[in-house]
Amino acid sequence: MPFFRKKPSFEGGGLVLFMDVHDAMAAEKVLKGADYAVKLVAPPPELRKGCDLALEINLVEQPGIERLLKEKETGYVSVLPMKPGTSGILEIVKITDFGDWLMVKAANMKLSFEKKSGVIVNTSGGGCPDIPYLHAEMIGKKLSEAPRPRDLGFTLCALMLDRALEESLTLWQGGSKT
Amino acid sequence: MMLIVGTVPLKDLPLTIGKAEAEGDYLVVNGHRIPCTQGTSAMITAALVTTEYLKLAAPQILVAGDTGQGKGSREMYEYLIQNVASLSPQVLALHYCLPDMALTRRLCEAVKKCSKRPLMIADAASMYAAKAAGLATEFDIFTPDATEMAFLADPDATHPAYIARHLFDTDVTQAPKLVAVAYQKKNAARLLLVKGATDYVVRNGEILATISEPNVPALEPIGGTGDTITGMLSAFVYSGMEPHEAAIVAARANRMAGKLAKATPATRVRQIINQFPAVFKQYLCQWSEVCFVESGNAKN
Repeated sequence: MPFFRKKPSFEGGGLVLFMDVHDAMAAEKVLKGADYAVKLVAPPPELRKGCDLALEINLVEQPGIERLLKEKETGYVSVLPMKPGTSGILEIVKITDFGDWLMVKAANMKLSFEKKSGVIVNTSGGGCPDIPYLHAEMIGKKLSEAPRPRDLGFTLCALMLDRALEESLTLWQGGSKT
Repeated sequence: MMLIVGTVPLKDLPLTIGKAEAEGDYLVVNGHRIPCTQGTSAMITAALVTTEYLKLAAPQILVAGDTGQGKGSREMYEYLIQNVASLSPQVLALHYCLPDMALTRRLCEAVKKCSKRPLMIADAASMYAAKAAGLATEFDIFTPDATEMAFLADPDATHPAYIARHLFDTDVTQAPKLVAVAYQKKNAARLLLVKGATDYVVRNGEILATISEPNVPALEPIGGTGDTITGMLSAFVYSGMEPHEAAIVAARANRMAGKLAKATPATRVRQIINQFPAVFKQYLCQWSEVCFVESGNAKN
């Protein structure tokens, strides 16, 4: 009896849009070469920006994918969630004052730093695998000297942590540092 | 057997399954040393401390190194899909990973082949994937924080970074509204423990309990203090407690440990976990029917 291996299914939730088919195919090659799971698909009409070919990606991997496409100079228009009703990425942050420390929250990610020294004392929240790695890399470092999650991370959690770091830098540089 | 599954931030750690032991600030499994920090390792350590106190078998852990690129996550889920039926854990707790809807769907199918369905717990990105794939009702327990609760209530979001702004703006006191929407949209597990300034324990849409004392706001900035709640909850359920009771006790114990540790935003999660045995000794009998322990299992 012949044995057929079932092709692994893929549900990504995100789309990379391109201006032309050539860019879409080049991006597929670049991303597959880096072990990303991707699939060439036709974008829904409301998301068409140029060519009729898009790449389905795991939306959570958006930051790592965008960084790689830029590094490889592969042109793309934008990355969007596949569900039409989905909101854009959260841009707002919330700040909590703990006396000697401030906590800055961006979506599900929180970064806390000491007001006086600008040293990161904790990061919390999230659930993607780069977050505990970034936690270890960032704690104990000054906001201005800490690695950027957008450079080291790969996921939307990392992107939100970067937002929190950016806001923390603004607060610190405009506050007790001076 | 209780099985905890999640990634740890060690690039070179291969797929590893075994019993974990605590060694100072590290977990040791099959000779691999894993630092106890935010994420799966904090959850495992909390579960381990709890099972040790209750004199239960230590949790089995399935971990893989992954710093965000997803390879370890995929290996871990593939292994679990292939082996969950033969492992047949009583409690299956899924934690940090690169969320993958298709793998989660296959895992839920594979779980159906277990001789007895495990009690399914999901937190962190395993919970994100379950919700995004429309599989929340396959799970017994989710442990979201306030923002993740908004994510569960947003029918379109596949990650908390994409939740609608008005839901992110929602005050924690509005959690009951978010809970109601999440259940209405079938985006919640049977039991929710919503972690926040006030913790909510919800079963099938009904709020069974709220916990707000002791009030230790500094727990929120400390990376891993949500993971410890999930770890304790998993161990308490494994001990035979009803899920809602386990959720209440875990939430209380975490707060009390924070108080005993005199937590500040600069406290590390290991300092919180170190307080658990003292908290259990002083309060477990008062909070639950687990009042003393002989060799073997906790006694009710």
